[in-house]
Amino acid sequence: MRSRFCFVFAVVYFTGILILTVHLRSANDRILYNLCKIRAEQDRLKQQLWVKQLQLESLINPAAVSERLEQRD
Amino acid sequence: MKSIRITLVFLLVLIAAFLSLGARCLYLQHFRAEHYRQISFRQQRKFVTEKPQRGEIIDCRGRLLAASDKFQVIKAEPRIIQDPVKLAPQLAPILDIEGIEIYKRITESGNPGFARLKLDATARQCAAASKFHGIGVESQWRRHYPMGRLACHVVGFTSLDNRGLGGIELECDKELSGLPRVNVFFADARRRPVRLKQQTGQFTDGAGAILTLDSTIQQFARDELVRQYREFEAEGAVAIVAEPKTGAILAMVSLPDFDPGDIRSADANTFRNRAVNDQFEPGSILKPIVAAVALDAGVVNTGERIFCEDGFYHGRGFGGITEYRNHRYGNMTVRQILVKSSNIGMAKIGQKLGKEKLYKGLKLFGFGKKTDIELPGEAPGLLWPVSRWTGYSVTRIPFGQEITITTIQLLRAYCILANGGRSVQPYLIKAMFDNDGKVIKLKHPRTTSVGFVVDPEVANWVVRDAMVEVVEEGTGKRAKLEKWQVFGKTGTANIAKSNEPGYSKSDYVASFIAGAPAEDPAVLVLVSIRKPNKKLGKGYTGGAVASPVAARILEKTLTYLQVPERQQGS
Repeated sequence: MRSRFCFVFAVVYFTGILILTVHLRSANDRILYNLCKIRAEQDRLKQQLWVKQLQLESLINPAAVSERLEQRD
Repeated sequence: MKSIRITLVFLLVLIAAFLSLGARCLYLQHFRAEHYRQISFRQQRKFVTEKPQRGEIIDCRGRLLAASDKFQVIKAEPRIIQDPVKLAPQLAPILDIEGIEIYKRITESGNPGFARLKLDATARQCAAASKFHGIGVESQWRRHYPMGRLACHVVGFTSLDNRGLGGIELECDKELSGLPRVNVFFADARRRPVRLKQQTGQFTDGAGAILTLDSTIQQFARDELVRQYREFEAEGAVAIVAEPKTGAILAMVSLPDFDPGDIRSADANTFRNRAVNDQFEPGSILKPIVAAVALDAGVVNTGERIFCEDGFYHGRGFGGITEYRNHRYGNMTVRQILVKSSNIGMAKIGQKLGKEKLYKGLKLFGFGKKTDIELPGEAPGLLWPVSRWTGYSVTRIPFGQEITITTIQLLRAYCILANGGRSVQPYLIKAMFDNDGKVIKLKHPRTTSVGFVVDPEVANWVVRDAMVEVVEEGTGKRAKLEKWQVFGKTGTANIAKSNEPGYSKSDYVASFIAGAPAEDPAVLVLVSIRKPNKKLGKGYTGGAVASPVAARILEKTLTYLQVPERQQGS
């Protein structure tokens, strides 16, 4: 009985170790993937902000102001 | 016996078969190893080029003239899409494009590896579309010009693949482009990147450029010039505003112009920057320069009187010279010659100077060669070498014929005069900066030589005495301003006929150079209007057409720059 218990314990233990090993081995790629995902999101948000700034510049530059003044006249 | 023989033969055949297999293996794995390694390399790897952001172009106050932003393109790879008929209706609701249109774009694409389906896709559309086999998302850069036509000839424009094609975009294309990088990924059987293997190349976003241009002054110049250009139905017009002490160009307008954000619908003739590309005979506007050369050489002095032949001067070797509108003048000082803009007076000054001194003087002022301003396609102008001069040359060049110049060369010459005779180089780029906003290259005002082109006393007299008088009493009265003392000179140059000798009676270039304050010039404005329509009856001379524009630009610029006004009573 005891030996059976030890045997099961050993199997479970080594299975767990194997699963953890596989998990740790792929951790590098997983972290890299997450990093790339976050960087891509950051880049996308930066670009969104930049587009807003470009839109603002298009509205407040001397050429646009002059055009609006002319239209008002 | 027979059975042993059969066995032996069989064994021999077997051995031969295995030997040939072994030889084949050796051949494939040793001699052809490199070849198959390359194929495997290409199959396993995916190369993705990361394109850098093109540098911004901003004016001297930090306002954006040109910038790039990233947008997503949903693309298809037609060669791996097996059933476009089934795919198109599935994509239609995602892309908000009709299924038949999607089908056409996939099947009618000239490139089996790429078909553009949607530009400027949202993140949601990209995520939904990329789930389909054969559909991918690509990031691209797009160039924006927030100020549109305002500084189009200076800033220039780019091609669809972000290469500079004109203006500063072309001139600084290498710095603005940056350096791309190639990312090498391991790819699966469906060519999807799995893991990054390596990155080759040094990735750098493009450097930005800070110009000397001020977009507010540019707007003043453009507004006034466009109004006059339309009113006089001119063929072309140029206005340049500059700081005479440094040569910094504050504004440069050339008409007709174009929208750099919409190149496809622009007329190619509008791409020409007339300020640097066009050469023309300047006419009377060159007279103060020649007068300064003569005074500096000591061949005339400010008190000397020159007889102007009562309106007709002729002689052997130089034909006949008359005055504008057949005026008749007698004895005049150099000041009066400039104020009245006498051709005969200038012809005589040219004769006193002689070929060599006149030629040298004009070369020192920068005529006959490029100014090397940071714009492409600059013309050098035409000043024949002395060996090709005739008797006509030494009498005609002083009043601006038989010499061709560009507007930027003329501006440079007047910057020298307004700067007390010190040499000055016009320039447009103040500095280059990196992605962090740090200045990486500062461009100081350039001088081509140390020292003076003409004596400061001569330069100051021409500007503060003679050219002030041109505005106060002479042909430039329309340029007078209340708050500042303006100096200037008009020019009305005939345009030579294109298909026969002689000058046209109806085509002129009307020019005016103005600066203020005369006692310490802060700003120079040069306006040149080509072929104002004489038939409108509104005038065609520099005084009538160009000087009012120059005056208005000058007034607005001086107010904007808060240049101190003249004291009451001075």
